[in-house]
Amino acid sequence: MNYQFLVETFFVALSGVPIALLVTIVAMFVALPLGFLLALTRINKIPVIHHMAKIYVSFVRGTPIIIQIFIIYSSIPLLLKIILEKYNIAYDIYKINPIWYAFIVFAFSTTAILIEVFRSALSTIEKGQLEAAHAVGLTTFQAYRRIIIPQALVVAMPNICTATVNLIKATSLGYAMSLPEITLKAKVAANVGYNYVEAYIDIFIVYLILCSTVEYIFKRYEKHLSKFKVAKA
Amino acid sequence: MEKYFDASYIWNSIPVLLPFLKVTFLVAGSSIVLGTIFGLLLAAAKLSSIKLLQRLANLYTTIMRCTPSIVLLFLVYYGVPALAENFGINLHSIETAIFVVVTFTLQFAAIMSEVIRSAYLAIDKGQFEAAVSVGLTPLQAYRRIVFPQALVIALPNFGNGMIALLQEGALAYTIGLIDIVGKANLIIASNINAHALEIFIALAIVYWVLSIIIEKFFAMLEKFFGKGKKTLETS
Repeated sequence: MNYQFLVETFFVALSGVPIALLVTIVAMFVALPLGFLLALTRINKIPVIHHMAKIYVSFVRGTPIIIQIFIIYSSIPLLLKIILEKYNIAYDIYKINPIWYAFIVFAFSTTAILIEVFRSALSTIEKGQLEAAHAVGLTTFQAYRRIIIPQALVVAMPNICTATVNLIKATSLGYAMSLPEITLKAKVAANVGYNYVEAYIDIFIVYLILCSTVEYIFKRYEKHLSKFKVAKA
Repeated sequence: MEKYFDASYIWNSIPVLLPFLKVTFLVAGSSIVLGTIFGLLLAAAKLSSIKLLQRLANLYTTIMRCTPSIVLLFLVYYGVPALAENFGINLHSIETAIFVVVTFTLQFAAIMSEVIRSAYLAIDKGQFEAAVSVGLTPLQAYRRIVFPQALVIALPNFGNGMIALLQEGALAYTIGLIDIVGKANLIIASNINAHALEIFIALAIVYWVLSIIIEKFFAMLEKFFGKGKKTLETS
């Protein structure tokens, strides 16, 4: 065991945290509203979109994320190439920063997870609540904003937490897109002297700290939100 | 001119890939069996009245939940032989599949311990007491009253855990296991990286179909074991 390397690489791994967090935040930023809207289409059974959303969720849940990465990472350049050639735009597609692929892949998979999270959370809210809100003169939008979403959010929070932690963990697969995040950075550092054991211990510790912090923040927020929770009769 | 995308590669590669599902199943199956046993022990530790055991089991679950599979995989792959070397045991020549099974056993046990624990807690304690009070032995009470009900509650989560395991198992190729993903990468390499997309789509189809089958199977099991269950109709 090379202790000096262990300590040095820990900071190398730590320097990958901003990228991992950036990818997580951007993916969540896209996935939260999109997942919510698509969950609404699933609940209200809006034709076509609701079926497409169902297939989409089934696909994402049914395939390993690494394969989703492979597919998106190899199909987007192909599509871009065809489009660029068609319109004669000179742009080197191999210069695209891999982080854009990471945004797309992780937003794509997280949206599907969140559709299911929101769908199950919304279905715990009784329909009578919306009707009651309508009866007292709120618009549907107001009813959702003031009555339904605050309650559904309390129910959804633990699952959103799990989805976020899973997303952070999934960014470790960014190496397949040569995204310089935690795992790749430490692995590259280890390549020089074959110090893989030390490197992976570092990566392990970094993820442990990162994920338990995120979990802790969510727990605090859940406590705060549970003020809105009404005791079941 | 050669086409960028040729769908025939998808259909032609599936028959080549399918035999390698055997490896995937073998690894996933062993991890499920071993992980369930270990998970049962962990759940027992969490439900026991000994504080230290509870803490340790909870700590273990948290650590497993916070570690990406790929990191755990490499940690086991590089770490265990290095650790064994300190004790003078040479593990460098054992099969890669063993490391994969160890990794996913560790991970699946953490998932299962939570599934088992929550299923057990969902059964009202009064049921056990009632069973004992009518003269069943504790073992009988567990076997006839608590277990059948807990099983129904645990089934959907167990199915989800299995699907998750199958998918995380796709990462085993990174340490050189030739399962279905490993084979796909070999095919791509032998094509000099051409038509990678089609092969990946074929892989996605295989996994997708498998997950749907598992899902349907567990829905069926749930229906079968849930015959006597009476709860509110929620769906």
